[in-house]
Amino acid sequence: MNELIEALRLVLAPDVLIAILLSSIYGLVIGSLPGLSATMATALLVPVTFYLSPIAAVASIIAASAMAIFSGDIPGCLLRIPGTPASAAYTDEAYALTRKGQAEIALGAGLWFSALGGIAGTISLVVMAPALAELALNFSTFEYFWLAFLGLMCATLVARSSPVKAIASMLLGLFIACIGMENPGGVPRFTFGITELLGGIEPIPVLVGVFAVSEVIRAMVSPEPPPLPHRRFGSILAGQLHLTRKYWRQMTRGNLVGIIIGVLPGAGADMAAWVSYAMSKRFSKEPKKFGTGHPEGLVEAGASNNASLASGWVPSLLFGIPGDTITAIAIGVLYMKGLNPGPTLFTERASSMYALYIIFILANILMIPLGIVMIRVASSVLRAPRATVMPVILVCCAVGAFATGNNLFAVVLVATFGVVGYVMERNGYPVAAMVLGIVMGTMVEQSFVTSLIKSDGSLLPFFERPVSAVLAAMTIAALLWPVFIWSWKRIRPRHQEQAL
Amino acid sequence: MHLSDRITGSFVATLGVLAAYGGSRLPPVPGQDIGPSAFPILIGVGLILCGLLIAAGIGHSFEEEAEADLAVVEGPPEYASTKAPLTYRLRALLPPGLLLFYVVAVDRLGFVPTAAIMIFIASVAFGAKLRVALPLAALASVAIHLIFYKLLRVPLPAGLLPMPW
Repeated sequence: MNELIEALRLVLAPDVLIAILLSSIYGLVIGSLPGLSATMATALLVPVTFYLSPIAAVASIIAASAMAIFSGDIPGCLLRIPGTPASAAYTDEAYALTRKGQAEIALGAGLWFSALGGIAGTISLVVMAPALAELALNFSTFEYFWLAFLGLMCATLVARSSPVKAIASMLLGLFIACIGMENPGGVPRFTFGITELLGGIEPIPVLVGVFAVSEVIRAMVSPEPPPLPHRRFGSILAGQLHLTRKYWRQMTRGNLVGIIIGVLPGAGADMAAWVSYAMSKRFSKEPKKFGTGHPEGLVEAGASNNASLASGWVPSLLFGIPGDTITAIAIGVLYMKGLNPGPTLFTERASSMYALYIIFILANILMIPLGIVMIRVASSVLRAPRATVMPVILVCCAVGAFATGNNLFAVVLVATFGVVGYVMERNGYPVAAMVLGIVMGTMVEQSFVTSLIKSDGSLLPFFERPVSAVLAAMTIAALLWPVFIWSWKRIRPRHQEQAL
Repeated sequence: MHLSDRITGSFVATLGVLAAYGGSRLPPVPGQDIGPSAFPILIGVGLILCGLLIAAGIGHSFEEEAEADLAVVEGPPEYASTKAPLTYRLRALLPPGLLLFYVVAVDRLGFVPTAAIMIFIASVAFGAKLRVALPLAALASVAIHLIFYKLLRVPLPAGLLPMPW
């Protein structure tokens, strides 16, 4: 109880409240601009968090990412351009509603079910994290190795691209993580005599490069999206209680799927939305209505992507293994602020954990009023021409990267990874898998090498311990899954032919 | 920059060969079988395998499906850039070029002039008119300096144009 009161005191400090409010507005604006994703909003926020107290820093990341995921629905609904990848799954449906003159229903559903989903995800975080923390206390390097590897495999599974290319991206990330001196022998690896590379490649400049600069490059060579016609909205939340009553099953299913996908290391909000939308259509009584402006799928997918956001913090807080690219950034901030992820976080820093839960709930409640304001001013925000937004973002990338270590080499990295990210994305190599590889590389290598040293070079102990064996089986299943799907697709048409 | 799978696959495989070779040349830790070379070699082998599979076109069917799903949502992908003239496509190099300009110039010119030049060039390249680009460059660079230098205490170089704060 004392811890809860202490947590409330931490959250209600003026600097934390101001951080939540400002980063919420920031997240709403960035998320609503087409092409600027929630991950990018979070990455650009990191240099700002250096100067905040630990709780305010984490609060600003939580608030900005939650708001950005919701506000990605706005341009999707009004312009048929998803603001963030997590909205892409149901953009068509939302736009169909807008064309039918029911933009309020679509936007309201996005807002209302996002907020409810976020709260459901938070509850799962509150319930699951301490229970898993006890389990995690018994983990040794073998389990950590498989867990990290499983996370990387999940990231390749959900990439919506060729699995081979996704694995190649992931390996590329692991290779980049090898650069520097932080390795079992303490020898400079792949530094080519460049002093700046001795310390390794920091994830933040990479993230800013692949998510922000590559987006500026893409905008440079693609036509400007159409301007938004002015529109007056009716009541945003009017129909939502009715929808909640009608589709509570879909909402709960969306929440659950979102939570499960979020907890899986490596898989995040965009995957949750795709899976939930597909599921909603599969189990619907009226699947024919999907795609014609039917709110059912919106409810399920909107509930799902925000739920995954909170539960994505479970593996991050417990094991330091990011649930998605947003928590990959958050982990860096946690380390920087002395809140090192791990099961002991829940015993030693319990009040900080409670504070984190409170911030999640607060951010999701705040989302409703701020979201309504955002929807009403959206037509003005979306009118901001690219020619004014993109150049400012470019300068912010440079300053933000510089601020991470006050050295200009970070800016060179940002430029390099901007090009790398653009070329990879253009050729079907998912960049998120590479980023997770970079973030988790050191951990994977350390747990792998330490385990091998402990086992005297034998691979058997990797499969002997019970938890480790289960994790190993899951990882191998994730590796073989695409092969299974591929052969299934090959066999099935033949069966059908034979049946005919 | 749309390249064929054969080219990107060969690139990945070559990178794998280099990683494995570079890794194998690293000095071992005395008295220990497993040292800093184990992981790069493992990654190198993985990259070689992936590269060969990609070059052979395996897994491409998954990509086509994902693209078809996205095409339903976003309409046909914009292939305008591949057909567009070379000068238009070269604009892709402008953002990284401007960042490198920042690295070279910021210590000599100072933050505000460098940022103003970057914003002005980028804004004009995006098609802004002069009467938008000029005030934007002047105001945004000063505003960013104010936020990062004054509020966040990032030591941005003053250079030719020190700010009063």
